[in-house]
Amino acid sequence: MVGIFVSGYLGLSGTLGAVADAIAYAIAISILIIAFDYIFGWVERKTIAKIQKRHGPTFAGKYGILQNLADFVKLLSKENVVPKNSDKLLFLSTIPIMLALSIFLIFLLPLAPTLLETNIGLGILVIFVLLSFMPLIIFANGFGSGNKFAAISAQRSVVMLISYELPLIFVIAAAGMLANGYNIADIVNAQSQWWFAILMPVGFVVFFIAMLAELERTPFDIREADNELIAGWLTDVSAPYYTLALFLDYTRMFLGSLLIAILFLGGWNGPLLPPVVWLLLKAFIVSFFIMIIRATMVRMRIDRLLRFGWIWLLPLSLLNLILTYVVFIA
Amino acid sequence: MKIDRTELVKKASDLKSQGYSYLVKLTAVDYEQHLEVIYILRNMKENKDETLEIDLDPADAWVPTLVGNFKAADWYEREMFEMFGIDVKGRNVERLLLEKWNGKAAPLRKNFTWNAPYETS
Amino acid sequence: MTTRINIGPVHPSTHGVLRLVADIDGDTVVNLEPHIGFLHRGVEKLVETRMYMQSPPYMEKLDYVAPLSYDEVYVATVEKAMGVEVKERAMWIRTILLELQRIASHLLWLGTMANDVGQFFTLFMWAFKDRDLVLRLLEEAAGARMFYVNMRIGGLIRDLPPGFEDSARDLLDYLDKRVREYEDFLEKNPIFMERMRGVGTISREMAVNLGVTGPVLRASGISYDVRKDNPYYVYGKLNFETQTRSEGDCFARYKVRMLEIKESIRLVREALNKMPAGDALGMPVKLILPSAKNRIVSVSRELPRGECMMYMVADPQRPYRLSIRSPTFINLAALREISKGCRTADIFAILGSLDVVMGDCDR
Repeated sequence: MVGIFVSGYLGLSGTLGAVADAIAYAIAISILIIAFDYIFGWVERKTIAKIQKRHGPTFAGKYGILQNLADFVKLLSKENVVPKNSDKLLFLSTIPIMLALSIFLIFLLPLAPTLLETNIGLGILVIFVLLSFMPLIIFANGFGSGNKFAAISAQRSVVMLISYELPLIFVIAAAGMLANGYNIADIVNAQSQWWFAILMPVGFVVFFIAMLAELERTPFDIREADNELIAGWLTDVSAPYYTLALFLDYTRMFLGSLLIAILFLGGWNGPLLPPVVWLLLKAFIVSFFIMIIRATMVRMRIDRLLRFGWIWLLPLSLLNLILTYVVFIA
Repeated sequence: MKIDRTELVKKASDLKSQGYSYLVKLTAVDYEQHLEVIYILRNMKENKDETLEIDLDPADAWVPTLVGNFKAADWYEREMFEMFGIDVKGRNVERLLLEKWNGKAAPLRKNFTWNAPYETS
Repeated sequence: MTTRINIGPVHPSTHGVLRLVADIDGDTVVNLEPHIGFLHRGVEKLVETRMYMQSPPYMEKLDYVAPLSYDEVYVATVEKAMGVEVKERAMWIRTILLELQRIASHLLWLGTMANDVGQFFTLFMWAFKDRDLVLRLLEEAAGARMFYVNMRIGGLIRDLPPGFEDSARDLLDYLDKRVREYEDFLEKNPIFMERMRGVGTISREMAVNLGVTGPVLRASGISYDVRKDNPYYVYGKLNFETQTRSEGDCFARYKVRMLEIKESIRLVREALNKMPAGDALGMPVKLILPSAKNRIVSVSRELPRGECMMYMVADPQRPYRLSIRSPTFINLAALREISKGCRTADIFAILGSLDVVMGDCDR
């Protein structure tokens, strides 16, 4: 949509037009991500405040809408302290890399049937392969920072990995079976009649829980565990990089919500409104739900998460795979 | 009851076998001429307290440890050692409250005035 | 191979300035050494230089979560040394205020403990809000929000204000509902139950041997409550149960405190109904107080955190020696034993369930 518009408007064609389209698309998606992060950050603060019977930000702007901007500017103006015994390369490079990676993954998602330029063949698999690099990068950061809390957090992030990655992949396999392929556009189109959340409710629940762990949201924010490990792998990260980390947090949440919306909630399918709006609306609702969980849940212990992953999530995801095959394919 | 420090452990374990198994308090008082160490033991079932008092000479202030019978005595003994300079024989006592303070004086003794200069290491 | 991590003294969930040195092997705690004393103010020495009624403000700052209770223990000790009788109505009012203070303290504990097991501040905010309502009521009665200093020898600084009883009754009805809500909120959460059940178990024998007090002791199945077993003030005339649980784990400690809040609500209601009219005023501070008659006195009280015993050697006008048995001190001493072999994340659940206040511990 955007791409066609730009090259047509500038009268460019061929390679130059494609480059112009790509740049315009990148800018548009970046603005979308920033807007989502900003608005969701505000909504989260306000809603959690309401749940907790406080007011939340009220001072900056109407209903405190500018509070996040104020915080952002304040944090950017702080000194960046790098711990003496940290590995500077690992410590400083990992958060930007993770941010770039999660933004890149959002680029890979087609947001509407007309925006299929970035839709690659095995899209969903590529996304999950890249997504599972995140804990490893966190591991690198945790060890690079030279802080014991960060190191413990890094270990936890890798240990956690084995409890939720497999169920995620099994559920995706089931979804791929239903859609007859791992192309995201195919998966969404396969849901024009029935959402996958209705076709495989067990898979949806397993995927949602595993996604919470993937996104390190409560009750699985074990590696960030702010009242055990201070801030987990972010303990020694100072203000400018912490801003990036917060940005990363919301971007990953956006990514996760988009993935849930695409895989299970019918993606851009919906009446009346334009497809992009439907997808974003669904992603927003999923994020909102994750936020409510954050406000009410207690953190799980890591050994319990492992047990939960192996005793419940993995068998259930396998069951889901088999059921899907038996009911819909065979 | 007043006892001698040599019979403390025996007396305490006797009391413990009679049901006085809960150490309520272990503290000391500096009466200037002598130091007094006070143990309050409680019989939870009959709801009775028994007080053991030991008089010590300030120059030769030590008591045997009670940690073997009452684990609760652990921190109390350390606190008493630190605040009164009363040594506890039979265990390794470390400073508890003022670990980093290098003053040698015992703060809760009467010869320690809190606004006077004190002897440091 | 063990890793040594240093938790605190500046850490989000050490409840003040407590330093824990933990040796962990993988995720299991091998040894945990609490280091205390960061808040040591030498109060025991300080009161020796002060006249009797100059000390209550110091006492209140010991346990800044339940200041009134500490104030009351000290004043009761002084009263016992002087041989002064407390006026009848003052006894009732003190009982009411102490129980309200217990509710406030337990509510604060509830919020912080929920935080310690990873609740994102929701229960913390709710409990703090309700605690503030209790504090407001206490403010009505005593004149200050946190540090009341309203105990006087033989009574109180002032009688209850008009309308106090009605607002107290309203508040109690409200709290009754809220406490039930909190219980539902936590106990219907399987993850919370998983975090609390079977964690940090103290057996009956161990509890006695370690000398833990208060709710921690009662959670291990020992029914000892100073209010019941050595009743002071009007506790003997009121109907209430000593709340005990037999499991001795974090959940039992949580449950005992929750039941105690309900019990306290019932107690205050009953005391408000039975309270006689009369005079409750104590001796003004500026008056020359009667000199202490008894040389050695010791007074035991059930504080929100456990039994506090003040052992005083009295000079005529000031304490010769005041020794405070602070409940947190002895409960915290048990932390090392309890947390052996637990998971790293459980350290904070256990610490939260012990309800430590470092001011009380360090004195």
